[in-house]
Amino acid sequence: MALLQISEPGQTPEPHQRKRAVGIDLGTTNSLVATVRSGTAEALPAEDGKAILPSVVRYTDSGIEVGYGARAAAGDDPYNTLVSIKRLMGRGLADIKHFGEQLPYHFAEDTGGMPAIETVSGAVNPVQVSAEILKVLAQRGADSLGGELDGAVITVPAYFDDAQRQATKDAAKLAGLKVLRLLNEPTAAAVAYGLDKTEDGADSADKTIAVYDLGGGTFDISILRLSKGVFEVLSTGGDSALGGDDFDRAVAEWIAAEAGLGTDLDAGTQRKLLDAACAAKEALAAEETVAMSYLDWSGSLSREKLAELLDPLISKTLRACKRALRDADLSAENVEEVVLVGGSTRTLRVREKVEGFFGRKPHADIDPDKVVAIGAAIQADVLVGNKSREDLLLLDVIPLSLGIETMGGLTEKLIHRNTTIPVAKAQEFTTFKDGQTAMAIHVVQGERELVADCRSLARFELRGIPPMVAGAAHIRVTYQVDADGLLSVTAMEKSSGVQAEITVKPSYGLEDTDITRMLQDSYANAEEDIAARALREAQVEAERTLEAMLVALQENGAELLSEAELSELEQAMQGLRQAHNEGTADEIRSRVEALNTLSEPFAARRMDSSIKRAMQGHSLDEFDKP
Amino acid sequence: MQQNHFEIFGLPVGYQVDRQALAKRYRELQQEFHPDRFAAKSDREQMLAMQYAAQINEANNTLKDPVARAAYLLQLRGVERKAEQTTADGAFLMQQMMLRERLEEVREASDPEAELEELSAEAAALFKAQEQAFSDALAANALKDGESALSKLQFLAKLQRQIEELEEDLLD
Repeated sequence: MALLQISEPGQTPEPHQRKRAVGIDLGTTNSLVATVRSGTAEALPAEDGKAILPSVVRYTDSGIEVGYGARAAAGDDPYNTLVSIKRLMGRGLADIKHFGEQLPYHFAEDTGGMPAIETVSGAVNPVQVSAEILKVLAQRGADSLGGELDGAVITVPAYFDDAQRQATKDAAKLAGLKVLRLLNEPTAAAVAYGLDKTEDGADSADKTIAVYDLGGGTFDISILRLSKGVFEVLSTGGDSALGGDDFDRAVAEWIAAEAGLGTDLDAGTQRKLLDAACAAKEALAAEETVAMSYLDWSGSLSREKLAELLDPLISKTLRACKRALRDADLSAENVEEVVLVGGSTRTLRVREKVEGFFGRKPHADIDPDKVVAIGAAIQADVLVGNKSREDLLLLDVIPLSLGIETMGGLTEKLIHRNTTIPVAKAQEFTTFKDGQTAMAIHVVQGERELVADCRSLARFELRGIPPMVAGAAHIRVTYQVDADGLLSVTAMEKSSGVQAEITVKPSYGLEDTDITRMLQDSYANAEEDIAARALREAQVEAERTLEAMLVALQENGAELLSEAELSELEQAMQGLRQAHNEGTADEIRSRVEALNTLSEPFAARRMDSSIKRAMQGHSLDEFDKP
Repeated sequence: MQQNHFEIFGLPVGYQVDRQALAKRYRELQQEFHPDRFAAKSDREQMLAMQYAAQINEANNTLKDPVARAAYLLQLRGVERKAEQTTADGAFLMQQMMLRERLEEVREASDPEAELEELSAEAAALFKAQEQAFSDALAANALKDGESALSKLQFLAKLQRQIEELEEDLLD
């Protein structure tokens, strides 16, 4: 009976009050924020009425500018105006040198693996730049929803590897957002369409959906199955270096050839040709032919000619579609819905070819620029608890295989691509020298055989292995991927009973201390701001913990806890409540920690009881069957 | 949570699996235990949910796949096998070699697609026969025979993958 008295009015937030949640599409070129209001998901506009925020950040002596203003200044102030920063997320300096020539920035010398760009207001890294974009969108969300956000779903390309996902999550943390989930962009698009479609009452049948996402620089294909509100990603594939920019390049090359300009063109000419190419491509959506001229050359580009130029590129995307279908054990005829995402799917020829390949007309009724943010908003609304649980569940997959380096520089895959997450896989390795006491573990991601061709995610050493003869040690390496697609790795020597364990973060990720330091930097040494923010964060954490505990106790506290346990928990909760109202951030944190530890057995019992219930429900179903 | 993969889905332990029941039950369980369902719960419960959801996924992947399912059934009976063991059945090996030779020569055939289709159908029939052999061996608790059938299933699965890859190459 004490249960009902735990919640004292005014001390914890009302559990059923509507939460403020947004979906954010953090794009290479443009970003958006969307939310669900009165049952409809919509992109939120800025004061000027525009929903799109160009993903451009400009650093000046007097401050930071994000969006259209920054983009307009890109030409005049190229070194301090950072565009397409998403391409640098989760990348090391070496990766960037790879395509560095296209970027005008001054890169500072290596700072712990992450590249830093010199600007007038100091060196900044891609995570910080992305955080500036997120801050603007978060503020827009908070203004529009009338208060601090409870959480956000942020979308990432399906092909993003672990380091890129981690960097995105770090940027959100730096922007002060609580990330409910990282969601793959194509999955978000499917959600935006999928829920629409169930409104006609046709949700009884399973449906197979293909999401064809062609952006400026990347192509993504995902095959999903929708069944009673469960979106199951069956497979995903694509090409991280193929997009509308390549269309422009193909057309520009054609112009150069027609105009007899040769192949050795300076950057200025190239830029002009690309702009002309892009304009012609867009004009052909409405016209049969467009007239073009460059210097003393003039000619015309027809739809037919454009198709001829683009077809080899589009065919590449269709091959990726075929591979994804095969990974899902399906063929094109099995696909019942095709969804188009990304600005480059506005090109007519792309629509024709996609329609031809799947044998059905693709959906494009939701603005391809907004569809991802809208899907993310729908998912955020569910995760934050505004919707009933039956509504929607997304089962996503890992896009690239995760492996470990073995002898001879070869990759051994522990988790294969397109495995549904969360997932945990363990494998045993052994020592190859007598008396070996340490083992180097190199975590890689990719499909290739050679480690050198895969992406290196992390290296660490397991030390303290008791000396044994070669081959006697049993080192169990476990890879665990959570629902965001983020990896943690554990290694343990178990044969001797001695256990050593380590959990790693990716090479280009940030340590928590880095994030704290960057937060401090961003407050420009305003001590009280930092303290205020830390206190507020601790209080939010306390509220969340208390609320979760209250709900848990109401659900089955009486059934699963003895009176002594119950009163202990209540005391700990009371202590936390008091700390929440009067204590410092540190005090609150240690109370949260104490309550979490104390409630561990209760959490385990709750899980066991759910499992039992789920099993029982099933057995009863079975009896009903003839 | 000490359940075997079949118990998780409430399915009878055996080689024949009702794929539709598995898929349905899989979605029901994920509806219940996916970490998204615990987004508002305590950290500890989120962690437990992630672990259990991972276990459900692992079980589903094993039971869905005919080769992995066979290996798992042997494992439940105490037979631990190395990743890919070879078979001692000479006649089977000879047959495999001939199939592979035909696969290599598909490109030169007068109608490569028809030839590939024929190969694919043969491989599928052989696979089915070995599935039956495995199922029978398991029912009779003839574990050695079961291991032998599993090795052959692995061979044939690999052949089928190669056929698919060639199919993709040919279509391009």
